[in-house]
Amino acid sequence: MKSLSLKIIGILTVLVSLSACTPVKPWERGHLALPQMALETDAHEAALRIHAFHSKEGSNGGYGGGGGGGGCGCN
Amino acid sequence: MSKTLVNRLSLAALALPGLMQTAQAGRAEETYNADFQYGHYEESGERMKVDIYELSAAAPIGKAFTVSLGLIRDTMSGASPMFNVRDANGQVKQQISGASIADQRDVVNVGLSYAMESVTLGLTGGVSGEDDYLSRYFGTNISWDLSKSTTLSASASYAFDDVFPTGGTFRKSKFNQQYLLGVTQVIDKNSLFQSNMTFGYNQGFLSDPYKSVFVENAVGSPIMADARPGEKFQWAWLTRYVRHFKDLNKAALHADYRFYVDDWGVVSHMAEASWHQPIADEWQIIPRFRYYTQYEADFYSAIFDGATIGQYHSSDYRLAGFGTLGGGVKLSKNFVMSGLVKDIKLQAAFDYFDRKASYQLGGNDSGGFDDYSFYMITASINMKF
Repeated sequence: MKSLSLKIIGILTVLVSLSACTPVKPWERGHLALPQMALETDAHEAALRIHAFHSKEGSNGGYGGGGGGGGCGCN
Repeated sequence: MSKTLVNRLSLAALALPGLMQTAQAGRAEETYNADFQYGHYEESGERMKVDIYELSAAAPIGKAFTVSLGLIRDTMSGASPMFNVRDANGQVKQQISGASIADQRDVVNVGLSYAMESVTLGLTGGVSGEDDYLSRYFGTNISWDLSKSTTLSASASYAFDDVFPTGGTFRKSKFNQQYLLGVTQVIDKNSLFQSNMTFGYNQGFLSDPYKSVFVENAVGSPIMADARPGEKFQWAWLTRYVRHFKDLNKAALHADYRFYVDDWGVVSHMAEASWHQPIADEWQIIPRFRYYTQYEADFYSAIFDGATIGQYHSSDYRLAGFGTLGGGVKLSKNFVMSGLVKDIKLQAAFDYFDRKASYQLGGNDSGGFDDYSFYMITASINMKF
């Protein structure tokens, strides 16, 4: 009986949490939903670093969103 | 993701009419976001310094649309290598410009995304302007959830750039295209990976107007302008892996590897790893490490000889063979609130990198005349309303 109650509480918790959240990607569930598990935990900083490395190295690409906004990078 | 978890989520979702769609749909922003980021980049030896200021905001419109706006201002100053010469002892050394370079870069970015049941579409665009450079660009992207554990993504981006060097008399253009194909796969409930390939094609004026080469035994002037082919094909393959460690206070390991090759002869490898360690009270400490190495372009040489110099020639240190080794640490603190502002995140990081010819994979005997180091500081505040 106790385990059934726990199951019901568990299911209700899942229902409540699901109804509270809007669209989630497949990897945004369970442990995968933790902020530290996001592929990009800080998109703004990642963009800044990619831009800095791109302007000092002979290669770029892979991360997407590229092809634009690189600026001169002449120096 | 484990079968049991998928089943639990599926059953729970089916239990409520209309929820299945919600639980599987794409990603739309649920909150209004406002972010400010400051960055500082500085090279050793009185070379380039850059301060970066960035403001951005994103807002949901209805249930499916998200709009975003980003403003960036970079201020740059310092000296930069122009070409290489041989000193009285026959050693190669860099000829550096005076510390008179000062420029400002202003950027405006806009974005719009539309999230459907299993497909998310995005449009991006922007303008980046400097005293001597203008870039206009746009792109489109799509992500498609094939199943609960597999998502495909594709994007195309285009940039139309003009360069009009300070003190110069010309204005030249280039056109860059980049296409991405990627897959994100949930491996189990603790790990996932992403693998992306990008194909790039650049055409137009791809030389650096501020770089020259030094030619020994030259018939005419020993200083010639940097000259690169008018097109470049690029291919990059990036694989990213993320793993959760529940027993280590829910820490996460991130590991990235990228292989790159282009038809200028540059081949590079990049490996990056970070450890995201939650401590307590929503504090996180994130040590990280990066190694990059590349092989020189076919037409690169530190110094050229009049008898053998070809149509294309460059002594740009960015086309040389080298390696860069470095890393740093980032701190993050999250505040969950109940008022108008629902969430505030503060982040700050310091990273140091050493760029040396001798760090090239397999070694490099050029002597390290173009070695330098640099550091980066970033600090940001992210707010959700």
